[in-house]
Amino acid sequence: MSAPAVSAPAASARIVLRGAAKRFVTRRAAVDALGPLDLEVAAGEFVVLVGPSGCGKTTLLNLVAGFESPSAGSVEVDGVPVTGPGPDRAMIFQEPALFPWLDVEDNVGFGLRQHGHLSAAERRAVAAEHLRLVHLEGFGHAYVHELSGGMKQRAALARALAPQPRALLCDEPFGSLDALTRERLYAELQELHAAKRRTTLFVTHNTREAACLADRVLVLSPRPARVTRVLRIDLPRPRDFYDPRVSELAGQILALLRGDASGGGLSRG
Amino acid sequence: MGETPAPARRGLILLAFLAALALLWQAVYSAGFLPGYSLPSPGQTAARLVELARDGSLWPSVEASVVRMVLGFILSAALGLALGVAMGVSPLADSCLRSLFLGVQTLPSAAWVPIALLLFGLGDAAIYFVIVMSSMAAMAIATADGIATIPPNYVRAARSLGTSGLALSTRVALPAALPHVVTGVKLGWTLGWHGVVSAELIKSSIGLGFLLHAGRELNDAAQVVGIMLVTIAIGLLLDRLLFSVVERRIRVRWGFAPDSARG
Repeated sequence: MSAPAVSAPAASARIVLRGAAKRFVTRRAAVDALGPLDLEVAAGEFVVLVGPSGCGKTTLLNLVAGFESPSAGSVEVDGVPVTGPGPDRAMIFQEPALFPWLDVEDNVGFGLRQHGHLSAAERRAVAAEHLRLVHLEGFGHAYVHELSGGMKQRAALARALAPQPRALLCDEPFGSLDALTRERLYAELQELHAAKRRTTLFVTHNTREAACLADRVLVLSPRPARVTRVLRIDLPRPRDFYDPRVSELAGQILALLRGDASGGGLSRG
Repeated sequence: MGETPAPARRGLILLAFLAALALLWQAVYSAGFLPGYSLPSPGQTAARLVELARDGSLWPSVEASVVRMVLGFILSAALGLALGVAMGVSPLADSCLRSLFLGVQTLPSAAWVPIALLLFGLGDAAIYFVIVMSSMAAMAIATADGIATIPPNYVRAARSLGTSGLALSTRVALPAALPHVVTGVKLGWTLGWHGVVSAELIKSSIGLGFLLHAGRELNDAAQVVGIMLVTIAIGLLLDRLLFSVVERRIRVRWGFAPDSARG
């Protein structure tokens, strides 16, 4: 469809973690949640992180998002160390976290307010464009609670994309949706990715989801998370969720995960 | 719990209840347990209110009290919400102000009147002071509590959309806490209304509190009871017209209202 090599623009971020580690110190104990871990995500790449639950996947995303800072090592986006959250790295959570005091359109336009230079009319236009992108045209003036789960997550996606972030960080965004909605969203997410080639870091523990979406799947160890295996997925896009090749890869990923999980008791820190 | 009746039916039930209450009042009066100068009948009370309205002493006092209340309350709400937001976003501000405000809240409104008179003399400034001291703390605490219970992902989503600093308070924390804030403001309104009437009771030459005080001085029980009823009615009316409407709209928007639930 599109020519990704040409259209992969400077508008996508390159994410580099070097020796990044996170240790949470509580009054009782110190918990190593992550790493030390090295990771390079190329501009425009779609990387999926899978790992046993509680392994520190979310911590990794939080470091890149800037919600937390590494205890050791570095996290850089386009060569600049991450010092805090910013509109260049949009985050999508498992629950949509839409703002109930705003209608859908104002939610989508929320991040644009921070850019300052857009007029209200321009903001509305950008919001409407992104609502179209996620197939929510006509719902701009709905209240958040009037949307179904899938529509909410679409609106959250539109809100994240509207300020033109260079990276998209997804923390199990489809985890609480029903299967049918989820499968439709896989297609839409691939469409969006093909159009803009935004660097995407996507956390899940659904192995089929990983195989369906990723350019590269990183299998993480139990806590503290390290990359134990890397799987490059070269299947043509858009991929069908029920493509037998996707199923086969999902099986491979699952096997890798199981192998890690069974040895997990030892490396628990 | 039984089923909630339809609004029209609920109105009728309430009217019937109030009528029964008035009948009970009349019965107690007619039984003659209490001397007429300490307990007036419903009819005497109504007649006295009509008289007060006719001779032009009721309306200016209602107006004076309401205007004082509105001005004092705007001041109080502005301070209370600002301090509440500060407490909600800053643990330092919260640990400093919370126990102070909880302490201040234990004082009845009337207890602020003597110091208000000493500080501000006999003018309306003393009344505004009493309103603020009666109602601000409740609004600040409700706002702070509301902000403390915001889903953390609202704040994270906003920060990853580039929101920081003051905008995080005004565009996220305060609106996200709105359901709590409105409850606090409603409570603040009631407490402030206590404050106005208490202050007027002790030192004023006009206002509902003044009419209450004058009624007692003149041993006019009908006036005392009548003004009490007017005070209740106005407090209730403003609550219903102002805050309940806002509260209901917020509940609908947030999806809390039972009739707004959809798939």
